[in-house]
Amino acid sequence: MTLPLELLLVPFLACVVLAGIHAYFGLHVLARGVIFVDLALAQVAALGMTAALLFGHGPQSDAAYYYALAFTAVAAAVFALARRPELPPGPHVVPQEALIGIVYAAAAALTVLALDRVPQGGDQIKQLLVGGLLGVTGEDVVRVATLYGAVALVHWLCRRPLLALSTGGAVTHARAWDFFFYFTLGLVVTSSVRIAGVLLVFSYLIVPAVVGTWVAATLARRLVVGMAVGGAVSALGLAAAFAWDLPTGAAVVATFAAVLAVTALLRGAVAIVRRRRHDRVRVLSATVSVAGVLASLLGASLVVFPAADHFWLDFTERWAPPVRDAFLTPGERQVFADATAAIARGTEELRRLRGIQADAQWGTRDLAPEQRERLGQFLAGRDELVAGDRLVLRSLRQRARERQRFVLGIPLALAGAVVAATAVIARHRRRRRGADPGSLTATPGEPVSRTSRC
Amino acid sequence: MLVPLLVAATITVAATTTDLRELVAAVGGDRVRVESLTDPRQDPHTREIHPHQLALLGRSDLLVRVGLDHEPWLARAAKSVPPPAHDVDCSRAVALLGTDTPRLRADRGTHVHAFGNPHYWLDPENAHGITAAIADALARIAPADRAVFDENRRRFLARLDAALERWRARLAPHAGARVVAVHDTWPYFARRFGLVVAGTVEERPGIPPSPAYVATLIERMRASGVRLVVAEPGAPASLVRRIADGAGARVVTLAPSVGADPEAGDYLALFETNVTRLAAALDSLR
Repeated sequence: MTLPLELLLVPFLACVVLAGIHAYFGLHVLARGVIFVDLALAQVAALGMTAALLFGHGPQSDAAYYYALAFTAVAAAVFALARRPELPPGPHVVPQEALIGIVYAAAAALTVLALDRVPQGGDQIKQLLVGGLLGVTGEDVVRVATLYGAVALVHWLCRRPLLALSTGGAVTHARAWDFFFYFTLGLVVTSSVRIAGVLLVFSYLIVPAVVGTWVAATLARRLVVGMAVGGAVSALGLAAAFAWDLPTGAAVVATFAAVLAVTALLRGAVAIVRRRRHDRVRVLSATVSVAGVLASLLGASLVVFPAADHFWLDFTERWAPPVRDAFLTPGERQVFADATAAIARGTEELRRLRGIQADAQWGTRDLAPEQRERLGQFLAGRDELVAGDRLVLRSLRQRARERQRFVLGIPLALAGAVVAATAVIARHRRRRRGADPGSLTATPGEPVSRTSRC
Repeated sequence: MLVPLLVAATITVAATTTDLRELVAAVGGDRVRVESLTDPRQDPHTREIHPHQLALLGRSDLLVRVGLDHEPWLARAAKSVPPPAHDVDCSRAVALLGTDTPRLRADRGTHVHAFGNPHYWLDPENAHGITAAIADALARIAPADRAVFDENRRRFLARLDAALERWRARLAPHAGARVVAVHDTWPYFARRFGLVVAGTVEERPGIPPSPAYVATLIERMRASGVRLVVAEPGAPASLVRRIADGAGARVVTLAPSVGADPEAGDYLALFETNVTRLAAALDSLR
């Protein structure tokens, strides 16, 4: 097995184990509407670990784990006691999310206070947040897999009361079951946070459950979809981290967000296609008016702030260079082309020379100290030259912006405004037509026929 | 009658780190009262200053700091209380490393130490320049005590130089040895003791390395036979262990500052501890 695969295999297995149990708990958490309970429990676990550090135990020690677990048990008891399902929602009933938020803030603040007295406190906070997925060992995976398997088994045996409780059904000893639910969730979260960090654990809990709820109807199907999404995102995220040289945990979290966004867009598109024609026109006209307003704002911002960052224009120019070239003089166009070529050459040369420098540093290539010094100096100079060429491009782009300002900005702002206004007026007319007494006989959603009104 | 007079004559000094605190105490002796504004066991870059330390900064006669971009919190603190009238930026008293980094970065990477590597106190030779700057500043505040400060400094440097000979002799058999560091903390130390820091675990400080970077690092370590990873007490333990295991290397934890490790209680003990641990680790690789 190649080294990169070897490095990523154990983290991937850890992710798969996490995906399984968290997708299950995520469905419960969504059904209960206590989305941030996981963050609060994770933060309480972190507070427990910090308390262990204060008493002289190591961050990865068993003592730290049991401290975290004990603190989590207290939080689970507080959440179970605070749940008042018998009270209907109203202005005088404080929602459970409020308490969860307070527990999160208090635990986070206490952690900061405690870590101030603990060696390497800042480093500990950072590591707790981003986790150390790359440092996970095979034993870690076996340990959590065993623990999560046991939790899953107990939950399967007790599935009736737990499901009823999460979906608002009546259960005897509800508080005890509530405590059991939060405690086992705390147990899972405490163990996961140690290997994956707070952000990743939250993503594993919520995103697969949300996708499952969107695309499947029954609980079992949602669970299967959630687990599949968790596993697929883990593989994609780790591959992206490797291919694009990114920090592992953050890459997987970002992949979760991207998958959620794509699913939401697809879901929206499918919903539009499935709607009746009248509804489709309505959605389309709303989309057109939003797009018109956006185009108008982009055009106006180019007119008012030509020197600001206009990413849409950068993007357009990258794919259609004539949009920029049309606003440069022939001389400026030549300078732009020369600078672009010089950057490409310089970057390639820097890459090659940095390789030589690294080889010398690692001792795999012999370089006299004097040569090494000269190479360092040369690299610094070359680096500045490339950066200088980038400044040339930037300044030419700025010149083009000053000329695009009115020629592109004003027409875009006006066209956007016209499109948006037309869409809004058409929508208004349709609504008036819909409110016409003649249309009362028509089925809602069906276009009204002119002949029926005559 | 004498006691209040003596107290009144004491110069209050705020040092930004424990290392500088030790050097100020060595030069000032009983004529100064010096405290460190930071805890060596915490990250110096993300320091949140406490009211107690603000008060110390406000009532100090002299501020002694590392300089460069090592104390980003200091500018915020100086807005809350008027900074001391006298200020020593010790980075001006030494020859810096890592200054050849261009101000304009072509690769657009984040770069924490843009003005040179600030860990210069980890070369005992640099204590000469730093203590000279401190002695000058103290003598400007209390000109009558100039001779006392110079004498304190001379005695301290004599002890340090004698110890440095011993430390260099201890590490001499390992001259040219290549190591991997977790952070880019050790260039001054490595240069003084003839070691080569071939690479770092964290490509960018504070950001976990990518799998591709870790794979390259392990492959490089295997190919060039680098078998020692130098960590600091706050290093991400599981990642460092994974890399060391992958490359068949050992991990040695060194103290980057006075007080970062219980054994590194003062400036001389800092090097005594680090040299002893490093030499033992390198010996064991033979």
